[in-house]
Amino acid sequence: MSNRKAFRRGFRRFAKNPLQLGSLIIFAFVVMVVIMPHVFAAYDPLKMDYTALMKGPSVQHWFGTDQFGRDILSRTAYGAQNTMKIAVLSIMMATGIGTVFGVVSGYFGKWVDQIIMRVIDSFFAFPSIILALFIIAMFGASMTNLIIAIGVVYVPIFARTIRGSTIALRESLFVKASRALGKSHLKIMITDILPNISSIVIVTFTTNLSTALLTEAGLGFLGLGVPPPHPTLGSMVGQGNNYLLSAPWMALFPGLVIAVIVLSINIIGDGLRDVLDPRVGK
Amino acid sequence: MKGSYLIGRLLSAIPTILLVTFFVFIAIHLVPGDIVDIIQGTQNFLTPQQMEDLYRQYSLDKPVPIQYMIWLGNVLKLDMGISMRSGQSVAQLLVEKIPVTFQLSIMALGLSLLIGIPLGITSAIKRNSPLDHSVRFFGLVGLSAPSFWVGALLIVWVSSTVQNFTIFGYVPFHHNPVQNLQVMFLPSITLGLMIAAQILRMARTSMLDVMSQEYIKVAKAKGAKNRKVIFHHALRNALIPVTTTAGIQLGFLFGGTIITESMFALPGMGRMLLQAVNERDYPLVQGVVLFIAVVIVLLNIAVDILYTFIDPRIELS
Repeated sequence: MSNRKAFRRGFRRFAKNPLQLGSLIIFAFVVMVVIMPHVFAAYDPLKMDYTALMKGPSVQHWFGTDQFGRDILSRTAYGAQNTMKIAVLSIMMATGIGTVFGVVSGYFGKWVDQIIMRVIDSFFAFPSIILALFIIAMFGASMTNLIIAIGVVYVPIFARTIRGSTIALRESLFVKASRALGKSHLKIMITDILPNISSIVIVTFTTNLSTALLTEAGLGFLGLGVPPPHPTLGSMVGQGNNYLLSAPWMALFPGLVIAVIVLSINIIGDGLRDVLDPRVGK
Repeated sequence: MKGSYLIGRLLSAIPTILLVTFFVFIAIHLVPGDIVDIIQGTQNFLTPQQMEDLYRQYSLDKPVPIQYMIWLGNVLKLDMGISMRSGQSVAQLLVEKIPVTFQLSIMALGLSLLIGIPLGITSAIKRNSPLDHSVRFFGLVGLSAPSFWVGALLIVWVSSTVQNFTIFGYVPFHHNPVQNLQVMFLPSITLGLMIAAQILRMARTSMLDVMSQEYIKVAKAKGAKNRKVIFHHALRNALIPVTTTAGIQLGFLFGGTIITESMFALPGMGRMLLQAVNERDYPLVQGVVLFIAVVIVLLNIAVDILYTFIDPRIELS
């Protein structure tokens, strides 16, 4: 009951800022598009129409058409679905694996921590897009491989953040009390540590969701995304880039959609941090 | 004291560099298809004997760990091998491409510091003013807009409004400085905008943080002029976290150059890396990766040392 109250109070604090409320509404709309793109797409995203090649924005085609006469608005809707799917699933994967590594590393410390952190550091030394590029080149471009590639790239970020919070908790009284009562390490990690780092996990999830979206878009732009003809927002910008001066709408509209989605996630993330992270406070 | 610290840091960086290059070595060799397949695919008249010779020539007939040891041994002799694709030496190719990427990175970082620090500091001083709100929103937009979209916007906008501005067509600085700077300008903004946004946010937060410290209050209470408090007392301390951000961004910068160089057709290292990965040009990929890993590690050490100059309280240990 008190949980619900706290949630409501937090939400009210969050919604007081019009920018945050607006972002939440935009993001809710994006989620709707992602769940049912067919409602928002007037055309089949893969259907070519040779009577309407590279047409500018019009009443029939709000975002114009591409070099095969495909409707860009419809492709953007389905592209957003693919892009969001990859970003959300890869960050969920990174959250899962990173949390396990982070908690284990921070809780046990000593040589366990040393080994895990050394490997993580060597990943950290590398620009994420280059790492993802290698993984995609290794396994080939497909949706599953993209999710794995981006997921792997983000594991170190989660592991590091969560390790830090776990170390702080490890020395706290209630954990020591649990040890004294004879609880097993595993049980302490699950029942004592995890619930107390959940808000940090949520904040890290949102802030990295937006950068994962940008990573996916970047890979798509470089031609390493989901193979054609299936659209993702990044690959649409990449293809449109070849027609920038003759048909700028091909690249600019999908790019705008990426920017708006990422912007709304970033604003929501900032707001969540203010509400959830006690260290930031006022 | 500083000397021994430096040596220790450099030594501890070696395992990281080895680990990175080994991972990449394994990774690139796991990629299906090798250079011989690619040659065979395009020309298709190699006899089995010729294929075997090629394998031997590129030492592809040995197990991967042995190939890594061979490569490492050669690197220690300052021989990074020969690009399988172009036949040029990897070192030669790196020397050719590095200046482009270096110039792009420096210009991007310079622009982002030039935009980010003043905006962030002003925003913090005029907290909650309309200016602060718009600067913060600009920061969020900068963080959110994909660089390739910003680049596309810039290309469309500049080509339709500015006459006689060269967007594509790289020339080295010493051949034609005017055209060089023109061609590099838009890519630098494209690459620098997101970093500018990050620096801006960090500068604002850390300036706010510093301004609420006791010693600032003391300085104000002593009757120091506002301007003096800001420039003499606060700014220097506020810039410490900004240095960290800028240091971390340098790694990101290398990743970003791949996209920016591809977008603006600049003959730099990022585009070469993308091409080398697509063409399975192992020695070239290895060379670029080694170079990037070494540079990033050295930069991190340089940033740590830079701190001690900005903030004498920090001790190297």
